[in-house]
Amino acid sequence: MKKRYTMNRRNLLTGGASMLAAPMILKASRASAQGASFKIGFVNPSTGPLAGFGEADQYIMTAAQAAMAGIENNGSPVSVEIIYKDTQSNSNRAAEVAVELIERDGADLIVASGAPDTTNPVADQCELNEVPCITTVAPWQPYFFGRNGDPATGFEFSYHFFWGLEDVIANFLNLWDDSGITAKNVAGLFPNDADGNAWGDPELGLPKPLAARGYNMIDPGRYQVMNNDFTSQISAFKDAGCEIVTGNMIPPDFATFWSQAAQQDFNPKVVTIGKALLFPSVIESLGARGDGLTTEIWWTPSHPFASSLTGETAGQLAEGYTAATGRTWTQPIGFVHALFEIAADVARRAEALDDAYSVTEALAATNLDTIVGNVNWGGGDLNPVKNVVRTPLVAGQWQLADGKPNLVITNNKEAPEIPVGGEMKLIG
Amino acid sequence: MQSATISRSTRASRIAAGLAVILVVALAAAPWWTSSANLRLFTEFMIYLALASSWNLLAGYAGLISVGQHAYVGFGGYLMFSCVLFLGLNPLYAIPIAGVLGGLIAIPVAFFVFRLKGPYFAIGTWVVAEVFRLSAAQMSSVGGGSGLSIPVSAMRALGSKSEREILIYLTAFALCIGAVVVIYLVLRSRIGLALTAIRDNEIASLSLGVPIGRIKLAVYVVAAAGTAMIGALIFITKLRISPDAAFSVNDWTVFVIFIVVIGGIGTMEGPIIGTLLYFVLRESLADLGAFYLMILGALAIVIMLATPNGLWGLVVKRFDFSLFPVGYRVRGLTPKSD
Repeated sequence: MKKRYTMNRRNLLTGGASMLAAPMILKASRASAQGASFKIGFVNPSTGPLAGFGEADQYIMTAAQAAMAGIENNGSPVSVEIIYKDTQSNSNRAAEVAVELIERDGADLIVASGAPDTTNPVADQCELNEVPCITTVAPWQPYFFGRNGDPATGFEFSYHFFWGLEDVIANFLNLWDDSGITAKNVAGLFPNDADGNAWGDPELGLPKPLAARGYNMIDPGRYQVMNNDFTSQISAFKDAGCEIVTGNMIPPDFATFWSQAAQQDFNPKVVTIGKALLFPSVIESLGARGDGLTTEIWWTPSHPFASSLTGETAGQLAEGYTAATGRTWTQPIGFVHALFEIAADVARRAEALDDAYSVTEALAATNLDTIVGNVNWGGGDLNPVKNVVRTPLVAGQWQLADGKPNLVITNNKEAPEIPVGGEMKLIG
Repeated sequence: MQSATISRSTRASRIAAGLAVILVVALAAAPWWTSSANLRLFTEFMIYLALASSWNLLAGYAGLISVGQHAYVGFGGYLMFSCVLFLGLNPLYAIPIAGVLGGLIAIPVAFFVFRLKGPYFAIGTWVVAEVFRLSAAQMSSVGGGSGLSIPVSAMRALGSKSEREILIYLTAFALCIGAVVVIYLVLRSRIGLALTAIRDNEIASLSLGVPIGRIKLAVYVVAAAGTAMIGALIFITKLRISPDAAFSVNDWTVFVIFIVVIGGIGTMEGPIIGTLLYFVLRESLADLGAFYLMILGALAIVIMLATPNGLWGLVVKRFDFSLFPVGYRVRGLTPKSD
């Protein structure tokens, strides 16, 4: 009997030791793979509150992987592998998986999208660990300044493409001018988070440009995310006679605000909110109250762009997604696809695919017409700072047709190449 | 006439101690025999083991079921950021500072939460952590609700990539082994005897003259100081802090409770087993998304129902074996045969 105990104890300890050592052995056997390969790490939230941003990931990734099959670099074929990691909508986890991709999977390039909570931790890890990184779907100010970016020097390894606050402000103002509303007090709802602080910032955010166009921002201060009582904000807006409401909210907060506004008899004519009104599922959940809400529009199937990777137009990409999954298109589809377009382009042009500096050099020299517009970090008009490209932004409205929400572009002043789909109407 | 001896260790535990020393030496030398990917994994393992050990000291021994230890993780993280941004300190030097200040701030916190008992104490500690989170969200100098990143230059100042990794790994190693050793020594001391008494029956130990209040306060402060130091280290590896990440109840409290409960609460070995199991599960299942969390939850329920003392409790029940002998055993007594 006694002897058996000893064996068990030893087994336990050897087991423990081998468990600790196992990853090393796995690594050693994996490293033997040979040939020209290019590993793309893809970080996105597919579960948790940001899951809407990652809804189409699997479809886009599979299609991109297939389209990258024949890529050549320096005349020899490259086998491209995409490794997907879910952040669970948690910025700690985003940093962790980025490190995993860099250290364990040996990613040569990392792409990420979906709000600053995903893009910033991933880009930070890439910058420190000297791995090239492309991010999108986060306004560039929270991305750049939220990472202590210095406009004079920029970053070395991390590159970003998306619109900025200047674009969203211009579009919101255009929408309000279209509405013909004369009350100039605008209600502002900004949470205490990366986006809310940037949008509501008195110097760099909405208030100043609004004042320049004759509007006056009524800002009752930052609320905590997942707030369940907007009474004080609503009464401040009612007192000021606001007919326009704007801000940057997450969908649950907007739903709370919007139902409390109805209960407390606050009936604005125009409601233009960033971030909350991106997804058709959110609008559907609001029922009839979702009709007439206005928002920024970064990408639709009617955008006049085509993919450099598959040749599909924006409309075809969205149709393909709907046909394969039965779900309506969402705005991030175009941008996530564009991430892979740039990745494929870099894989074609880089001098040495296994050298991070060479890949970064190719990335910095990108000049590509993608499904979201031209991406070029070369220092043109669309580069507000080094490492950032601004993509075209328009504005529009959710209009219910037979109970189904349609996102209609109503103002294209900021990007005339994108066609308008209808007229804006007032709420109520 | 019988002769009985009293000892702490058994032959088995002495052999195990020898093997444990070899393992510790091997881990200390890890930077020289493993890849940097594994070094990262080991660092994280050490971080979670240290967090789990200090929570186990609180909940398993002192009966302080705190669900607000993420308050100190976040506190340590923010303190490290402040030291780096405003004082220009080396991030690693901020770790001991976080320990001292974490311990100090735990004293006024204890003044409030110790007035609450049982479940109210648990809720109270959670509320404190929430207060910490909201306070951090109001301080725009450290990024407010937006959070901020550590300047890349401050991290580059630590050395080249591999030097940095080794430095961070060794710090995690020192914190983790330090936590385990300190807890082991505390448990073998008079305080440990008192803690074991409190764990087994608080009222009985009070009636025997154990100064419960003072001992609980000491344990709470030590656990807070340790947790704050680990918090500072965590955010050196994360590079970025925001109130939601720093004071994340899931990452720094729920997973830690899971580790201790499945491993075996109130034992030194429990957190080690639990951390091993947690990492095995995470490495193999994390790609399943939401299912991964459901599996973790189901596993915790099954283990709690099947073996309330955790996996290590199963081992103890069957083999009466202890890697870290903190109690005493009587040897040599045999039942009278007449």
